[in-house]
Amino acid sequence: MAGDGERGRPMKKHKTSSSSYSKAVHMMEEEDFNDYGNDFDDDSRDGESEIKKRDFTQLELKPDHVNRPLWACADGRIFLETFSPLYKQAYDFLIAIAEPVCRPESMHEYNLTPHSLYAAVSVGLETETIISVLSKLSKTKLPAEIIDFIHGSTANYGKVKLVLKKNRYFVESPFPEVLKRLLKDDVISKARINSEDLHGAETFTISKSVREIQGGHEDLLNGADLAAAAEEKETHSFEIDPAQVENVKQRCLPNALNYPMLEEYDFRNDTVNPDLNIELKPQAQPRPYQEKSLSKMFGNGRARSGIIVLPCGAGKSLVGVSAACRVKKSCLCLATNAVSVDQWAFQFKLWSTIKDEQISRFTSDNKEKFRSLAGVVVTTYNMVAFGGKRSEDSEKIIEEIRNREWGLLLMDEVHVVPAHMFRKVISITKSHCKLGLTATLVREDERITDLNFLIGPKLYEANWLDLVKGGFIANVQCAEVWCPMTKEFFAEYLKKENSKKKQALYVMNPNKFRACEFLIRFHEQQRGDKIIVFADNLFALTAYAMKLRKPMIYGATSHNERTRILEAFKNSPDVNTIFLSKVGDNSIDIPEANVIIQISSHAGSRRQEAQRLGRILRAKGRLQDRMAGGKEEYNAFFYSLVSTDTQEMYYSTKRQQFLIDQGYSFKVITSLPPPDSGAELSYHSLEEQIELLSKVLNAGDDMVGLEQLQEDADDIANIKSKRSAGSMSAFSGATGMVYMEYSTGKSKQAGHGLKSKPKDPSKRHVLFKKRFAP
Amino acid sequence: MVNAMKGLLISCDIPMTQFIISFNASLPPSQRFILHVLDNTHMFVQPHVAEMIRSKISEFRDQNSYEKPL
Repeated sequence: MAGDGERGRPMKKHKTSSSSYSKAVHMMEEEDFNDYGNDFDDDSRDGESEIKKRDFTQLELKPDHVNRPLWACADGRIFLETFSPLYKQAYDFLIAIAEPVCRPESMHEYNLTPHSLYAAVSVGLETETIISVLSKLSKTKLPAEIIDFIHGSTANYGKVKLVLKKNRYFVESPFPEVLKRLLKDDVISKARINSEDLHGAETFTISKSVREIQGGHEDLLNGADLAAAAEEKETHSFEIDPAQVENVKQRCLPNALNYPMLEEYDFRNDTVNPDLNIELKPQAQPRPYQEKSLSKMFGNGRARSGIIVLPCGAGKSLVGVSAACRVKKSCLCLATNAVSVDQWAFQFKLWSTIKDEQISRFTSDNKEKFRSLAGVVVTTYNMVAFGGKRSEDSEKIIEEIRNREWGLLLMDEVHVVPAHMFRKVISITKSHCKLGLTATLVREDERITDLNFLIGPKLYEANWLDLVKGGFIANVQCAEVWCPMTKEFFAEYLKKENSKKKQALYVMNPNKFRACEFLIRFHEQQRGDKIIVFADNLFALTAYAMKLRKPMIYGATSHNERTRILEAFKNSPDVNTIFLSKVGDNSIDIPEANVIIQISSHAGSRRQEAQRLGRILRAKGRLQDRMAGGKEEYNAFFYSLVSTDTQEMYYSTKRQQFLIDQGYSFKVITSLPPPDSGAELSYHSLEEQIELLSKVLNAGDDMVGLEQLQEDADDIANIKSKRSAGSMSAFSGATGMVYMEYSTGKSKQAGHGLKSKPKDPSKRHVLFKKRFAP
Repeated sequence: MVNAMKGLLISCDIPMTQFIISFNASLPPSQRFILHVLDNTHMFVQPHVAEMIRSKISEFRDQNSYEKPL
């Protein structure tokens, strides 16, 4: 039966999910989240025997199974038929309760995990609802294991809420007995503020609260999408000391009392903080999926903290701006660099009725003072978390950021920011509600799970292919171009003494260069496209850009020059190709580009691959042309140039995994440039090739390494990581081991010459030492 | 006088030729097996090394191919 869902799936996949599930079961039995780490290795060893146990004959098929869209297996895996008429509703439900594992065109695979269920509870789904809807949608009778699993996982989740009302923190729960249990804990009872101490710990403030408005999942099978069932419910609460909030939250985590708190902000009743009077402009029409993600955030009239995952180009900024417009309080917006700060400020002005004096930017070049009581401040993570001495101006501004109470903390590209920086930012800024935005909730380490504690659970994740079908993002043709190594380059590649130059050798492979040149010419001349060429390797970036006479941007390029080059790329018909190093991976918004050629890349980072693809995902052209069967089925192209027989093949396959899990497929092209192309492309003659080779070989080792950016200093991808437990991965969308990565050979490259690395303090001149003292 | 020698003709693509040559060069002189490199894609080797070359190449290729972790 379940075989239907598995057809064409590699066996490896099964092992993956099975082990993460058995991990989950294990955990349920022991109720001990700390044990995660130790389970891990056992599970991977059990992997082989696990396959044989996979027997679905005991699943009982319902008589009307044809009408139902999904298969729920006893091991927690769920297969969804995307061609079912109920797909849309079932998808919305599944994405709320389970982690997507792989989402190709016709059949999706999901995995139920304790963390995904936690996220489900936090957006307001109740245990019984989850079970009843799941059993309605399932073709088979729900296995008892699944029901037990859901009960076991959700028993304690969502019972307790931390609510900020009128700037006082309340612990709230519909179950007084739960609150009593919490108060037995020393830390929590000390943190409690008793307004009328007469009755002791036994009384709670009782209030009525509006029930979830989005409880429509019960009605799924009747086709009703959202039924507004506002119903009043009693809640009990007690107040806690704001200074103790962090400690109380800690005590409630699964490893202590196991009542993880949900954070909510009752912004409508917040009379203390001044209102920010902004509205969405009428022309800002949120798309259905943007509406949906916002409805998860504001489901019960309060604002929840959490993360929204949308592909690049799908309009994350509009979601952010809309959220700010709903909360209508001061908003602090954090971006990764100065360019994206400008872009965010622009987006705010574009979509909302915000006045110029209500928005200010705060970057190292651009320190705008706050001009109104409530407003939007756009800045970078670095500016806020910076530990050193600041100029007087920025000290003043940071002081204001510290002192102000923010209604909404909007965090862009949360996947790139290291956890400790988050902690710092969150501790510095007092915010009622935190919204994280990202396209790729994967990291090359397991730190992604930290985000769940620091920000909140994943509220919504869009399906890429659905957005492509809807014409919301570009339909991208992904291709891997195989470039054979030339004889001379490969001979050098194999030599032991060149082990440090391997990367430079396969990137500078003349066949690759010719393929790249061919593609640039083809797209510039035949199609009039705008092309971005990505190279992580600075040596290659410079060599390619010089030879082809194209502008390039890398870490050391100044902000002004970047802006100038990007402007030229956007507006000038003569500049159709730019070369970018990895500074271009995130946040540089280049809507005009529709072709990406990747000539070298950061080892096996799936995140980078997805982010780069994101640079061209913004939909272009007219909608009807883009739809299936329209004039141009594909209007964006993503080429990855790979030198065959080298390590690059390994990295390349690995990098593609994330996109493949999103349903993309890569076409392999082997005959580029075409065999009949001759001297019109560079490096045709053997002499030229050999000259290039000697250039590569003579370059210093530090020149040929990866570019290191300051932001990377904290990037865990650079730290030697080891294969360890993927405990909380599933929490955030990084289910089990599918999302684990092992850094191989990466550490070697760390520590190569950094352009923008801060100076070693001990080497500083005496006069400056004091200034930079921590 | 004609000197006849029994051997094996290997034909492969350009990079693999280079791989075999470099593998051959990494062995001590007594174990080297290439009798003659004919051109970019062909070489003449001692008759007994076919299996060894095959296993070396597959080992090399395994290093360069990625399988999803289990």
